[in-house]
Amino acid sequence: MLANIFFKTTLDRWKGWTIAISSLMLMFLFGMAVYRDIDLSIYQELPEAYLSLLGLAENIDVGGLAIGAILGFYGAITLAAMAISMGAASIAGEERDGTMGLLLGNPKSRTQVLAAKTASMWVIITIGTLVIWGLVYPISSMLGVEISGLDVTALMLHMYALVLFHGFLAVAIGAWTGSKGSASGITAGVLVVSFFAVGFLPMLEGYEDVAKAFPWYYFNSSNPVLNGIEWGHVAALLGGTVAFAVAALVGVNRRDLKSQSVAVTLIDRLRANRLTQKVTEKLAGSARVSSIALKTATEHQGVFIIISIAMFAMMGLMLGPMYGALPPEAVNAFRDFPAELLALFGGGDLSTPEGWYQIETFGMMAPAAVMIVAIAVGAKALAGEEARRTMGLLLANPISRTRVLLEKTGTMVLFSIAIGIATWAGVSLGSAVGSLDMSVGNIAATTLLSTLVGLTFGSLALLLSAATGRTRVAIFGAVGAGIVAHVLNSLATINEDLAGVAQISPFYYYLNTDPLMTGMDWGNGAILLGISVVLIGLAVVMFQRRDLRQSG
Amino acid sequence: MSEEATIQIEGLTKHYGSVKALVGLDLEIAAGEIFGFLGPNGAGKTTCIRTIMDEIRATAGKATILGLDSHDSSVELRRDIGYLPGDLAMYPSLTGRDTITYFANLRGGVEWDYVEKLAERLDADLSKKVGDLSSGNRQKVGLIQAFMNHPKVIIMDEPSSGLDPLVQREIQKMMREVAATGTTIFLSSHTLSEVQRVADRVGIIRHGLLVAVETVANLRSKAMRRVEFELDKSPDASIFAAVAGVRDVLVENHDVSMDFDGDMGALLQTADKNYTIVDISTHEADLEEIFLTYYRDEEATS
Repeated sequence: MLANIFFKTTLDRWKGWTIAISSLMLMFLFGMAVYRDIDLSIYQELPEAYLSLLGLAENIDVGGLAIGAILGFYGAITLAAMAISMGAASIAGEERDGTMGLLLGNPKSRTQVLAAKTASMWVIITIGTLVIWGLVYPISSMLGVEISGLDVTALMLHMYALVLFHGFLAVAIGAWTGSKGSASGITAGVLVVSFFAVGFLPMLEGYEDVAKAFPWYYFNSSNPVLNGIEWGHVAALLGGTVAFAVAALVGVNRRDLKSQSVAVTLIDRLRANRLTQKVTEKLAGSARVSSIALKTATEHQGVFIIISIAMFAMMGLMLGPMYGALPPEAVNAFRDFPAELLALFGGGDLSTPEGWYQIETFGMMAPAAVMIVAIAVGAKALAGEEARRTMGLLLANPISRTRVLLEKTGTMVLFSIAIGIATWAGVSLGSAVGSLDMSVGNIAATTLLSTLVGLTFGSLALLLSAATGRTRVAIFGAVGAGIVAHVLNSLATINEDLAGVAQISPFYYYLNTDPLMTGMDWGNGAILLGISVVLIGLAVVMFQRRDLRQSG
Repeated sequence: MSEEATIQIEGLTKHYGSVKALVGLDLEIAAGEIFGFLGPNGAGKTTCIRTIMDEIRATAGKATILGLDSHDSSVELRRDIGYLPGDLAMYPSLTGRDTITYFANLRGGVEWDYVEKLAERLDADLSKKVGDLSSGNRQKVGLIQAFMNHPKVIIMDEPSSGLDPLVQREIQKMMREVAATGTTIFLSSHTLSEVQRVADRVGIIRHGLLVAVETVANLRSKAMRRVEFELDKSPDASIFAAVAGVRDVLVENHDVSMDFDGDMGALLQTADKNYTIVDISTHEADLEEIFLTYYRDEEATS
């Protein structure tokens, strides 16, 4: 029985991990091949803080760059994210699906179920790490890249500890709260915030030690790939892991298990209160069910609001005054940066405020923000209703499949535009507060393009959702395509041989004309919009043709 | 009949790869008729219903409802159809009232007075979130939305699933009421007693094949009765066996029991002439037994 829980959990997950690790190693292969062919002397001039943010050593070589940038960054983030998803699902996920009661209907204790679930996670993380570790050597030798001076094992051990730490944190939060959303949300927040904190805090005088409060610090601040294993740091992460495992054990045993149920939200409380009843009834009750588009919007409002605020405040407003606070040496050091290198991070020249915002906000975060929300809405739009078995009921009404699809597309487009506006307003305000004198019109042009880039991947998710009815296919497909397109465009900018290939990536049509400096390129805008329109048109056709799925 | 048939299904076939979920189904249902679709799990009931609701597309054949093709005119058609899917799922974070409002908006309005009346009859709580309701109470919300627009046709997949007997009876009453006003009802069930109580005709489906279509009355008249006499002394089995329509006579002390589908008067006369009747009991074979008989016959011939 326990073996069954273990094997079932493992079998449920191995495909996702296999795909993630395969893509990662392909990216590694591709990246290393590109790095091999370019002049790396430019890296020597990068400021230390920047290198450490990217997980790179100072006297970098091809192997170090590929291993540090791709495994030390993408690898760690990918594996940690996979572990978080698995950890959050282990207890809280079963509760949300209403299957926990059934599972515990068998003569097994909660402790045993927790043990089987976490054992599965642990085994998968271990195998995943070993596979990556085992592939680094043959890939490097295949490309003729020398990596003998690098301690790959040390990096892998540090990464292993980091991934376990986040996986078990998610298990613990799920075990205490029974809320899958909290478990994955909080842990993912810890991961992202700690990555940025450890990158930026050392740059600010007097705050260097604060970085030690974040788990990412214990992953790569000692630069394991160059300096070998830092046992104290590994022990800190593994110690945290054990603590979370114990916390999970206590948490899952002490509380009432949830049956498949719905969280009581703030709106519900307001609706129940006589004073606020009338207003909230209108807002939460009649308004949100007034159309398919609005209903879809309320279902995704959480992630939308968080990302809008983050883009407005953190990626927009706050960065303005921060630019003024940057130490002059940092700005000077960046002044001599070769443009090819900066292109890898979205391009931009740090000696100008536009360049600063391009590196920080527009290069990756602005399109990614739109992508996250657009893909979430697009992927769940149709497949989500099918997985929850509500599509039959929805289509029992006298509305066509096309209308359902287009209303949901409307939500996706509106959310994307709203995030664009939040980014535009944040950056414009940040520029005003920091007296950076950036052109508001150019900021608008850049956010419009970043919104359109994000939308192309949202539309792809929608198409996959319409064609297959499977949320996972839609999410993995669109996110995978997004990552590949971004890497392709970045690497191609460095290596001129690939310039032609880059044109198949939507990202190419985003920053290639430097819109923050030169303003809107309507041709690029039209291409990006055209891609989305074609994808959505295909989605309409595909959705019309197929049988609806009865379950997820 | 075919001209005024509300639902007309011709050669409806659905294959999933090599699995034949539905095989050449022909069926006609008249206006105001309650038609019960009977069959065990996996027989093809839901596949048939999902096909005529255009959720899935027929491999061959077609269904016409109210004179309109169920695929080509599906949107137009759904204006006049109330539908309750099997294994009902709804939006867990919406209350019952929100759910009804949502569908009412998609339909361009609803008579709230009627919704309230339906909710009252079914004792449904529309203020709770659907996700917090038990499956029976969730089913009530689904039933209300199927009835609320006074549809000309109501299609329901296992409508009494999860409901207690009192509510089941209320639903049956509601079905008969709307059928009396001309609404056609097509329901599937594996609870035979339900269909027996409410339906005019029954279709029995198995392995995707429609095995039989009969009126409920006809099915019953075909059926055997089990007759038992308690007599003043131990009877002679051959006396009863001689009566036309008697089979399987069983004597036990003063009791004699037999299967019978002949003239009851003749049987009573025979008993009364030879013995003193102390007690008599007779019961109809219910649909369940008839159902099993159909299946046994089918198995025997296949």
